[in-house]
Amino acid sequence: MTAHLTRLLGPAWLNLAEEAVQESMLRALQTWPYQGVPENPAAWLFRVARNSAIDAVRRNKIFGDKTDAMVAELSRSAIVMPDNPELEEQLRDDELRMIFMCCHPAMARDSSVALSLKTVGGFNVREIARAFLADDATIAQRLVRAKRLIRDHELTLEMPHGDELRQRRDTVCEVIYFMFNEGYTALEGEALIRQDLCQEALRLGLLIASSSLVTPSIHALVALMALQAARLPARTDDSGDIVLLESQDRTRWDQRLIALGFRHFDRSMTGEHVSEYHVQAAIAATHARVAEAGTEDWPAILNLYDQLMTITDSSVIALNRAVAVAKVRGAAEALAAIEPLDKTPSLQHYYLLLAVRGQFLLELGRRSEAAECYRAALDCRCSEPERRFLQRKLAECET
Amino acid sequence: MAQFMLLLYDDPSGWEKLSPEEMQKAIEKYMAWTKKSIDSKRLAIDPGKVIRAQGGKPRVTDGPYSETKEVLGGYYTIEAANYDEAIKKALTHPHVEYGLTVEVRQVYGT
Repeated sequence: MTAHLTRLLGPAWLNLAEEAVQESMLRALQTWPYQGVPENPAAWLFRVARNSAIDAVRRNKIFGDKTDAMVAELSRSAIVMPDNPELEEQLRDDELRMIFMCCHPAMARDSSVALSLKTVGGFNVREIARAFLADDATIAQRLVRAKRLIRDHELTLEMPHGDELRQRRDTVCEVIYFMFNEGYTALEGEALIRQDLCQEALRLGLLIASSSLVTPSIHALVALMALQAARLPARTDDSGDIVLLESQDRTRWDQRLIALGFRHFDRSMTGEHVSEYHVQAAIAATHARVAEAGTEDWPAILNLYDQLMTITDSSVIALNRAVAVAKVRGAAEALAAIEPLDKTPSLQHYYLLLAVRGQFLLELGRRSEAAECYRAALDCRCSEPERRFLQRKLAECET
Repeated sequence: MAQFMLLLYDDPSGWEKLSPEEMQKAIEKYMAWTKKSIDSKRLAIDPGKVIRAQGGKPRVTDGPYSETKEVLGGYYTIEAANYDEAIKKALTHPHVEYGLTVEVRQVYGT
């Protein structure tokens, strides 16, 4: 809805659109509980939001002599016609334009994510702040800067074309994947908000996957997110402790998401280009296919990681690859594989690198060295469940 | 069974702080509760008019809400054996959860 009104009003008036939507929801909250939900709730909300926007345009005279033209434009909006079969389609289209604008190259990555969540996802400042473990003021600032940038650069909701469209689509994928990872990787913070992040990322991915903008890489991204999200319920036990992949209760994996993931994985198999998402999805798919722990096809997984390393030079992926190396060729080789990572600045004080090394040393029977790694890992920044996990491992070294 | 009226007071400025997602959740909760009730009416959102006697003459003024942020938003009529039961039912209403006021009054003559 915000996206639709923003298209009518122009992106510079994003705030006005947001307020109008807020107003319509408020009205709904005040009347539906007594009078029942109207026959076409979406059209109802639109009518109220549009009227509210028209009022604001008239009252504030922000459009000067263009006021009448803008009122006419808003009044013409097809969306307020009830039972409009094009309603959903128009809405999806507006949302897509909005995400693509949020991912403009001039926008910083975290601003893109925050703005997408706010305008397309319906999150408020407080929720975004909780999701990013940041304070409200930081997020509010970020949004103000993003909106100023829209004005200053006179961004529009026009879809880019040609090369620009291809580049923008790559950025959109990165932003969606970033959003997903924010929700997926951190164990700290409020679980529900984080789940919302994953869901929103998946929803946006599916939105693009069902549009004319779809590419095989987008199917791969959707597959990757769905397959990973399927494991979310099994990742922690009832007391909130971490459960490693190999000991997860597979019956708690979300079969619906796994099926969705495989459907999109199949569709990603068209075309020549193999993206990072393809290989990541293939790894997730290999894990998801395993019915029983201990029967994973580690050589295949290692192969995929090798392939992934030719596409990206991410040191976190190199670290993940080392785990596969240990499973296939033993801990000694894996230990050698992570040695170069010591020099990577971004991995300094990264508890996972230390924890992984500790695990390899433990497997080699070098207990005191392993204990040292876990102790060092405990000095790094990590969440409470992770801390408890490291302490359990440390105790294992000392017995 | 006696009839009771639940008078629900709104604080619009409180609702304004919610995000669209949270509002949607709130609407769902309210709708779920409403299914159980028999009769409900929403009052118009404008502040309304008040007729008060002043110096023996009726005088019409704008809404009486200058002294409070809360506005009577609507009412439900429910059936209950007594006040205890009516209150028990009213306590399950999402209005209570959102920290808003619900007035419970018995209706005579039914």
